[in-house]
Amino acid sequence: MSTTTVMKPSRRKGPISFLTILGWFTAILFFLPIAWIISTALKPKNTVLDIPPKFVFMPTFQNLVDAVSFSNTLQYFVHSAIYSFTSVFLAIFVAFLASYSFSRFKPAGTDFLMFLLLSTRFVPAAAFVIPFFQLFNVLKLKDSFLGLIIFYTMFSIPFSVWILKGFMDGVSTKFDETGMVYGASRWHIMFKVVLPQVRSGLVAAFVFNIIFVWNEFLFNFQLGGLKTYGIPVGLFTSITKGGQVDWSFVASIGTLYVMPLALVIFFFQKYLLVGLTFGTVRGEV
Amino acid sequence: MYDINLKNVTKGFGNLQAVNDITFTIPKSSVTVLLGPSGCGKTTLMRMIAGLETPTSGSIFFDDIDVTRVPTKRRNLGMVFQYPVIYRGTSVKRNLELPLLSEKLSAGEISKRVNDVADLLGISGDLNKMVEELDNGTRQKIAVGRAIARQPQIILFDEPITNIDITAKLELKRSLKEVFSRLSQTIVYVTHDQTEAMTLADQIALMQDGVITQCAPPKEIYEKPKSQFAGWFLGNPGINFIEKEHISVAGSGINSSLFSQTIDAGSHASQVKVLGVRAEAIEVKTTQSPEARSARVVRKSLGIGGQYLLDLEYGSLKVKARVAHQLGREIGDQVWTTITSSDVIMFNEAGVAI
Repeated sequence: MSTTTVMKPSRRKGPISFLTILGWFTAILFFLPIAWIISTALKPKNTVLDIPPKFVFMPTFQNLVDAVSFSNTLQYFVHSAIYSFTSVFLAIFVAFLASYSFSRFKPAGTDFLMFLLLSTRFVPAAAFVIPFFQLFNVLKLKDSFLGLIIFYTMFSIPFSVWILKGFMDGVSTKFDETGMVYGASRWHIMFKVVLPQVRSGLVAAFVFNIIFVWNEFLFNFQLGGLKTYGIPVGLFTSITKGGQVDWSFVASIGTLYVMPLALVIFFFQKYLLVGLTFGTVRGEV
Repeated sequence: MYDINLKNVTKGFGNLQAVNDITFTIPKSSVTVLLGPSGCGKTTLMRMIAGLETPTSGSIFFDDIDVTRVPTKRRNLGMVFQYPVIYRGTSVKRNLELPLLSEKLSAGEISKRVNDVADLLGISGDLNKMVEELDNGTRQKIAVGRAIARQPQIILFDEPITNIDITAKLELKRSLKEVFSRLSQTIVYVTHDQTEAMTLADQIALMQDGVITQCAPPKEIYEKPKSQFAGWFLGNPGINFIEKEHISVAGSGINSSLFSQTIDAGSHASQVKVLGVRAEAIEVKTTQSPEARSARVVRKSLGIGGQYLLDLEYGSLKVKARVAHQLGREIGDQVWTTITSSDVIMFNEAGVAI
């Protein structure tokens, strides 16, 4: 008698599987704090602290208008934008050159140099605060955009080089050589041939770094000043305006503060995913 | 067009001597194939001609112009690499015209050149397609087209067919043959594939261990290999070697169990250590004749085009013979073979043809 093995048919997938629901649930759970901040910003002031919380209410933009018109709020945004975008653009430009060099010319000890580059990130940020404070005082860079831009550029370069080198290694050197054969200069090859092919890496590096710099508090607080405080410090110093915590104000600033980043991440998330595949996940400074 | 003159060109990478003191001329307006096994230095030699590597010593001349230290971009070359180098996200047309944009040509001239090379390569219908839509063979054609469109003095091909799938490979090889016959440039083509070399070359420069061991037209290098290596490397199967234990020297004559006649080696007889006979030089018959030697079929395989490859045994001597049709002989059967004396190649102790 012969026996026949019948393969068990795989379970038919329904239109929405259990795992999909679980995935959505988890994602929403993570999004709740943001949703809470946004809903608080839109609630009338007198209902913010209601217990039980009100989930249905008539949204108002008055809190946002108040927050924006409060003394230095706009200034903080402008400051944040100036030092964040400038330093990250600068860092990526430098990192692009550096990673091209590491990838193509492979200077002696490339691996060790790459390790050294990242080593600045091994030390907890707090260890740097006092030395940098003193250094900035001596160099008269405290409370200057130049100082903050130098600092954030320096801190953004290593990680950008790591991301970009991975992308750069993925572009065959034959592209460079073909360019050379056809009479192109090294600069032309870098910016016209290689750069378009590492665009994903540039965007990934940009997004990761802008998240870090935009959110950075400690050094902005220590090395900055009234002329250069960004939103995180601004939020912190304005949190108790009027002697008590004004949650509508906090939530409004928080909402406005999250928006630019949320938009950047939303529009560039496919690049972020590519960036993450290099296994490079950063922590705090 | 230029001759490419190599004078004592050497290239080392650490302890490895990739190219070893090569002095050689690649004649202008011809197709020279650098052929050899992996690691023989052929690609390194080509890269030095391109200026992508600098020789450790020696000089490279285009005619009598010393280009040894001239950067690649000023050598007026075209080059096609092993993997198709194409610019993604752009059309075929754009890929072809990109290198022309820096040449200060009129729009009309650029367009004419692009259309000409597209016609030549049979990709006119693909000009407006995005390169992502094309198979690797067509992508490589774009790379070839780009090299030709600039109308350089020298075009270099570094194993351009190796990574193309088999159907596209045949088509691309045909295209290249056609293109080469129309071009007047000096063409250098690197490959490890002897059929490519035999198909495309005006002359083959055979390389082994960083040196060029022989340079001759395909037919000549196949029929008159100057070394055992050349005999072994070219041909499928490689040449049959009859080692010294199967040959005997009597005066100026050489005898072997493989053939009935004595082969005259003249004054070199005493130097002969190995004989070489191509598989197709062994004539196999099913009937006995006085001049034929008896052999037994020990293996039989069907080759391309209905040809059969037989492993024949003459006592302890085994050789391969190619027969053009089915002989009606199976493994274990007896056959009779003859060989023309002029088809026998003699090698000395060092493996050099006498």
